[in-house]
Amino acid sequence: MEVKVEGGGEFGDANYEKICQNIYRDIGLQSNIDSVYLYCNAAEHVFIISIKIGRVSNPVTVGDMTIIAGEDMFKVTKELYAPRLLALLWNRYGEKVKQLGRLEISIKLEEKEMQELRSQVVYDPRGDLTTRILDGIDRILPEGARVRYSIPATGRITIIASENPIEEDWKKKATDILRKISKGEA
Amino acid sequence: MYKIMMFTGGVYKFNELKELVEDIGGFILQEMVMQVETMLHLAFPVEEERVIRDKVKEVGGKIKELPLAGAEIMIVVPSLGKHHAVDPMCDIAEFLRRNGAITNMMGLARGVGKRIAQMTAHEKAIIEECDAAVFVFGNFEECIEEKAKLCETLEVPYIIVGGPPELNIEHYVGNIGRRTERMRRKNEIEQLEAVAEAVRVAIDEKKREIDEDPLATSPLFIKELLDLVLPPKAGEEFSTIVQLDGLRVKVEEGDEENLKNIEIGKRKLSDICNITKSEYDGYLVKILPEAVTGSVY
Repeated sequence: MEVKVEGGGEFGDANYEKICQNIYRDIGLQSNIDSVYLYCNAAEHVFIISIKIGRVSNPVTVGDMTIIAGEDMFKVTKELYAPRLLALLWNRYGEKVKQLGRLEISIKLEEKEMQELRSQVVYDPRGDLTTRILDGIDRILPEGARVRYSIPATGRITIIASENPIEEDWKKKATDILRKISKGEA
Repeated sequence: MYKIMMFTGGVYKFNELKELVEDIGGFILQEMVMQVETMLHLAFPVEEERVIRDKVKEVGGKIKELPLAGAEIMIVVPSLGKHHAVDPMCDIAEFLRRNGAITNMMGLARGVGKRIAQMTAHEKAIIEECDAAVFVFGNFEECIEEKAKLCETLEVPYIIVGGPPELNIEHYVGNIGRRTERMRRKNEIEQLEAVAEAVRVAIDEKKREIDEDPLATSPLFIKELLDLVLPPKAGEEFSTIVQLDGLRVKVEEGDEENLKNIEIGKRKLSDICNITKSEYDGYLVKILPEAVTGSVY
């Protein structure tokens, strides 16, 4: 993930670069974002952030995150998705599902039903990608900049934020910046 | 005048040290015994430092100066949101505590932004109950300059902490901007030391003012009496907080009269102190100068 910050002064730029890196690392999106560009104008209290979305990993199926560990029983190999898996199973099979241990789940199913279950999607990273990116943006931008305006573009999220109403000038400037960084990437 | 220091060491002849402190007219402010490790905050007359140091050497412990001991400090951030808490707010508070201060933390209700940043009269009153305040204002020069105006009317010493290394603002300490991780590297510890040093300078000025017009009695002496008359409940910590010119006392409803009637020498506590209900927690006991109350003993 590349991060570029401008307009915040020597200290501010370096500090915000670190903040962007840390926040997207905490959210777990560092590998799903190609680049982050942040423009800060504290004098007029306007901040422009533009995020280019990168590759997103494939949906995780039940088969990807479990192994069969005996008759009517499977073992979770990726604990991260275990709560989602249990929610899916309880929703679908109700009391048939028994959690024997932290990672062991027992469920009595026909062979055909089991095959079908193993191809079920537990978690699709594309599903909440935008929400998570927006959560990151919310954490990066200064808290006082609550007035937001977004500029639509394919594969990119761009937001202008300020504590004042956002004027046309800034919308135009943000579009220009967006064009410039998109051209630079091409 | 009392000096406050921290002793750390084993339990060997530990009681002898405590007895010595009491014999020379000092106080034990805080005591923590962890298996065979002990920690004491000691207050003793400044001229007896040599005696204490000799005793500490004899019992094989260590003694450290606590430059901020006896002061209650408020750490103020623009909000309690994840932008400002927990780092660097808690790092600063922790470092001030290591230097002996009692810290409180406060997020302003509408302190974010530049033009829209405000501090209410109630918030100002709460901050002024403490001995000093540390404001943590983020990364941008323009925002810090604007927010610094909010602090100008404060009647307690304060320092402003921000990102840019140098700014033309009074009581400013730079290099600590917004953070998303704990300050634990060497250069970061040095920055925290700079903050503690700036707070020490601000507090020393207030201490000097108090020395010029001495208080009727020492807050440490009142604390000692308070702990006897209104003892803290089991497990309760910091029921009485020492400030430079008074105390914050957390008493239960109905104990206010007992508090006012505590006898200090020939006088009652209410005669030599202003006792008011705190806007924040407990009661504030502000000791009047001896010039106003006359001799207590």
